[in-house]
Amino acid sequence: MLSYILRRVLLLIPMALVISFLVYLGLELTPGDPVSYMIPPDMYGSMDPERLQALRESLGLGQPFIVRYGIWLWGVLHGNFGYSMSGGVPIINIVGDRLPATLELSGIALVLSTLIGCVLGTISALRRGSATDNSLTVVGMLGVSIPEFFFGLVAILIFALNLQWLPVGGRTLPGYVTFWDRLPHLVMPALVLSVTMTAGVMRYARSSMLDSLNKEFIRTARSKGLPEWRVNLLHGFRVALTPVIVLIGFRLPVLIGGSVVIEQVFQWPGIGNEFVAAVRSQDYPLVMMIALLSVVAVLLASLIVDVLTALIDPRVRLGR
Amino acid sequence: MTDITTQRRRTRLDRQFDQIRAREEAGLNSHAKGSRFVRKFLNNKLAVFGLIVFTVIVLASVLAPFLTPWDPQKINLRAILKPPSWEHWLGTDKTGRDVFARVLYGGQISILVGLGSAVASAIIGVVIGCYTAYVGGWLDTIAMRVSEIFMSFPQIILVLLLVAITGQSLANLMIIFILTGWGGIYRLARARMLSLREEEYVQALRSFGLSTPLIAFKHILPNALGPIMVNVTLSTAAFILQEAGLSFLGLGVPMGIPTWGNILNVAQDLRVLQNNWWMWLPVGTVISLFVLSVNFIGDGLRDATDPTQQG
Repeated sequence: MLSYILRRVLLLIPMALVISFLVYLGLELTPGDPVSYMIPPDMYGSMDPERLQALRESLGLGQPFIVRYGIWLWGVLHGNFGYSMSGGVPIINIVGDRLPATLELSGIALVLSTLIGCVLGTISALRRGSATDNSLTVVGMLGVSIPEFFFGLVAILIFALNLQWLPVGGRTLPGYVTFWDRLPHLVMPALVLSVTMTAGVMRYARSSMLDSLNKEFIRTARSKGLPEWRVNLLHGFRVALTPVIVLIGFRLPVLIGGSVVIEQVFQWPGIGNEFVAAVRSQDYPLVMMIALLSVVAVLLASLIVDVLTALIDPRVRLGR
Repeated sequence: MTDITTQRRRTRLDRQFDQIRAREEAGLNSHAKGSRFVRKFLNNKLAVFGLIVFTVIVLASVLAPFLTPWDPQKINLRAILKPPSWEHWLGTDKTGRDVFARVLYGGQISILVGLGSAVASAIIGVVIGCYTAYVGGWLDTIAMRVSEIFMSFPQIILVLLLVAITGQSLANLMIIFILTGWGGIYRLARARMLSLREEEYVQALRSFGLSTPLIAFKHILPNALGPIMVNVTLSTAAFILQEAGLSFLGLGVPMGIPTWGNILNVAQDLRVLQNNWWMWLPVGTVISLFVLSVNFIGDGLRDATDPTQQG
């Protein structure tokens, strides 16, 4: 098992290197003086050209491209992400400020959609062809078809503007810090985000459950005389879970990238909101670093998926 | 005794073969596959519903000049923020432009972006996937690695990153969609190709000395078309949703061109959201209906092209 994990990690490293290289290439090719995002902006503004030139030398900017890339990568690995061009704030601070808000929002949506999606998908599969199954299928289709921001707008209109039960947007009011103060702000965006994700999980869980119910071990379990719920849940569902876990694993990157539009609709101060602002103002260093972080998240998620499937299904790790 | 039974079986088989031959000579059998596909598709009520809605929306957008007398870009300061009336079916927006006309003309661009990018990325993905998988070797490895790089970005992040680099325009957006969208269909085509490559009929063709592209595209590709068509519908739906989302953020198609997402953009203003429902609710419903219809068609295609399901 350990050697399997090690092999997977080793496979990831070249991928991460190539993508970080592309990101650095993007940084070099987009307009802007490299020094301007490597040192704090007030320092950059007050410096005379000769000292700036000396600084360039000391930062290694006179070196060949590959050496500059190495220096940059070394810095990134040590948490030196450079500076945002528009605000002049260290990018690592921006990420540190914004990431928790996004993790809170999409983490809740991920958990909710997984639970509800698995339950509904299993019900749908167990009552295949019934009215429940058909209506759940149509509802699932609606869930993936309605743009999530449109759904969010309707929710704002009904629950925030007309009924005034929930705040329109934002994460918290000034002066309130605990999770319970934030909860009313969190309800709408988290639920709206969950709807689309639930629909996907549900459809997946349904087909995977149908698959496993057709297997022979289900017939064996039934012929042993086990009660129906035990057959379905302990034997059927457990096997159906593997592909569902894979799907959820591949969804993990939404923790960073999935809530971009919803964050904008609800003015949620997360990393997605920051990313859109950076794209609008063409703040390339910030755009590139957030993109790089999201790639790291995807690669880690795929590693987690591989390890989980290997843990659940011994055929995977023995096969290779 | 045994002799008689074999005799009987033979005659029955013979009769069946005679029937098949008769149908073949009458030219019926070549249509049998197509007609079963159509029959299975038409039996699926949701798919038929999807096809009708899809056709209606596409026709309404294409025939927009005949359906509305209004120009979608014409500013009319005497008719600002008018609610729906006989004159303006869906009212007017902040600059007095007719919303119904904007929805119809916007549909042209939105459908072009969605369908166009989906078809183009499918063609690119299929060509690369079929050819590299059939040839194998280093070409296959390179194509796989490149697609892995594209797919290790979350889609929306990669799209926004490219928008930041290239700037906003309709052509750029479609190119970006194609760049980010070919990977999925490439993998699908490659996987189908890898399994079909080992079939005996392919070996037979190879021993006849047919050229590689001919085998790959003419003889193997048709057998992989079902899942590819399903994938095209799904990516059409996805691209339409993405265009709407990006334009809603103000980062998709430039604001001067009416698209469904650009029309919805005004709903970011809470006053519009609360007081001028006609400016965003109808167009949002049209997007949802259109994407829903495409998804239903996709589901219908999936069932109809699946050879394991008889119908």
